[in-house]
Amino acid sequence: MKSAVIGTGEISAEHLGYLAKSTAINLVGVCDLSRAAAEYAAKSFGAAKAYMDYKQMLDEAKPDVVHVLTPPQTHVPISMDCLDAGAHVICEKPITLGHSEFVKLYEHAKSKNKCLVEDHNYRFNRPILEIERLRKDGVLGEVMEVDVRMALKIRDGGRFADRNLPNPAHKLPAGVIHDFITHLTYLALNFIPDPDKVSAAWTNHGNDDLFKYDDLDAILIAGEKHARIRFSCRTAPDVFAVTVRGTKGEVQTDLFHPFMRLLKPRVGGSKLSPVTNQFANGAQLMSSSFKTLWNKLMQRTPYEGLHRFLDQTYDALKREVQPPVTFEDMDRTSRVIDQMLAEENRA
Amino acid sequence: MKLLVTGASGFLGRHIVAQAVRRGHTVRAQVRPVSKIEELGWEENPNVEVERCDLRSKVGLDDLVRGCDAVISNAACKAGDFYTQFAGTVITTENVLNAMAEVGVKRLVAVSTFSVYGFMKMRDGALLDENAPLDDDPMDRDEYAQTKLEQEALAHRFAKEHDGKVTVVRPGVVYGKDNTWTARIGAELGADKCMVIGGGTILPLTYVENCAEAIVVCAEEDKAIGQIYNIVDDNLPTHRGYIKALNKHRKPKMKTRPMSWKLWRFVSAFGLFVNKVFLGRQAKVPSILRPAALHARCKPAKYTNAKLNELGWTQQVDLEEALKRSFEDKDYAALNEKAETHPQDTTEAKTNIDQNNETRTCA
Repeated sequence: MKSAVIGTGEISAEHLGYLAKSTAINLVGVCDLSRAAAEYAAKSFGAAKAYMDYKQMLDEAKPDVVHVLTPPQTHVPISMDCLDAGAHVICEKPITLGHSEFVKLYEHAKSKNKCLVEDHNYRFNRPILEIERLRKDGVLGEVMEVDVRMALKIRDGGRFADRNLPNPAHKLPAGVIHDFITHLTYLALNFIPDPDKVSAAWTNHGNDDLFKYDDLDAILIAGEKHARIRFSCRTAPDVFAVTVRGTKGEVQTDLFHPFMRLLKPRVGGSKLSPVTNQFANGAQLMSSSFKTLWNKLMQRTPYEGLHRFLDQTYDALKREVQPPVTFEDMDRTSRVIDQMLAEENRA
Repeated sequence: MKLLVTGASGFLGRHIVAQAVRRGHTVRAQVRPVSKIEELGWEENPNVEVERCDLRSKVGLDDLVRGCDAVISNAACKAGDFYTQFAGTVITTENVLNAMAEVGVKRLVAVSTFSVYGFMKMRDGALLDENAPLDDDPMDRDEYAQTKLEQEALAHRFAKEHDGKVTVVRPGVVYGKDNTWTARIGAELGADKCMVIGGGTILPLTYVENCAEAIVVCAEEDKAIGQIYNIVDDNLPTHRGYIKALNKHRKPKMKTRPMSWKLWRFVSAFGLFVNKVFLGRQAKVPSILRPAALHARCKPAKYTNAKLNELGWTQQVDLEEALKRSFEDKDYAALNEKAETHPQDTTEAKTNIDQNNETRTCA
């Protein structure tokens, strides 16, 4: 399969790293507006050629799959052109800035008989797959509550706090949080898929002109099931915590520093289970701390799920079956983000 | 000459502007949009115009370059991850060079670094001059070396593709006020203690005022076009000698723990062996334990400034005086005639302070 990449920002290292390692994929081109960036990426990851014009790359290299890794505001026109050129598109999140745009883009892909896949990489991280397994095995019972919480000190420095050249994410409908909201939403919807009530409070506690919002508190309700999505830049340490509570048990993880804390009925009945749970989770926590240390040493990042997502997506493209991130996954994620962003939710 | 100095608010950039003005040039000084201009020391000098813009964006760069006889490309980013440094060092330079090509400004002095040299392949004690080979396998080096190599390659490409009149300068360790420690000595063990690797190793220092003057001399001299110049001072001290000289001024004194270069070189080589054989070379270890980075920092070598002297540059400030100045309150880059009057607003871009000394914001 011939693949190409458009955009060589930070996330491109993960996509290009995967493509460079894969023996079944021929990396035919890398494109960036900066010649230096395109050439450096091509040299570092063994791409056949560096381009500054993606249309020229589509014409010349004729890729079967294009990874669109540019700022979100450019996803629709670039993806449209890739689909028109006969390529499947794997696009970084958020795939579009609104649900209606997503539907149009997806219809276009369908009319061209091509796949359009949004990167939902954290769904493929080991802890999330393990929680899925616990649900399927009935260990958690019926899932009733989900908490997805991200805390990042985006105001204290780094690319989003740079006032010299504000990051393009500041211009997204939800500002910088829009850059993260897709992850938080698809993880919540993974366990509680079809909320009938969505409410959200977007606030800018920093009260400045750089950030549109710096805090989100959202509740999704599906009948008697509740999901909460939180984004905060005022609590420490940085976390990406996911808690799933069911009728039989509860499981908690942090995708930045993975561990699993599972509370379930254990040997000894209801009286001894709290104690045995603590012993079992204590041992699990010790084991996780060694794994986290090992991951740091071996440069393994929270993007481990991205490689698994790409692996499964390429496998589906090859076998011409439905990719692991389906239309329904993308559609409901995009729709719920629109609902969260409804005017009445913006303080 | 009218010189554009990019990265003018930085440690070296401020002194380049000061030395250029002292040598009779007018300077357009590029600083980032939210830089505090009242701390520059020359923002009110009539021979300096301050231009605010971010070189990571192409917007306004043609106007920034237009009307200048030469560009001293000094902007670089030393902190952050690879992508931050790539944007701050490589993309910025690419944008400036594209603007120069567009507007027709040919003369470029590109400020590179000793970090581009391939220390791993040098033998201990060899002479590192302008002919020493560059690092051709920098993936084990830090982000700074990787991005500076790319930046320097852009300068050479500008010469080739746009008939640019290019001089590349490679300063050694630039030191001065608030910058008297260098990782080339070894490793910091807290605020006032350090491990000195190879006490007798020569330290390739250049005091910031000396370095800035050498860069301006390179911009002035036609003989420098097409040439590369290493910038180091005369009578370079050893690691041990530098700490001793530093401790005459530093309070509290820097305490030292000596470490043999050969022993530490063995430790890092053993670390690499373990990483290669048992960990598939995937483990990320501190740079002081990675041979490629360690050699670039601490390897014994000899240095020369003979080529720079031939160009007409001579050192003005010796080590003793340089360290004395580094601990004084006086700002040796200051040129303001009315230094006591500072603008009140430190963050907003200002326009047309006066006719000869304007501070503008790129469109």
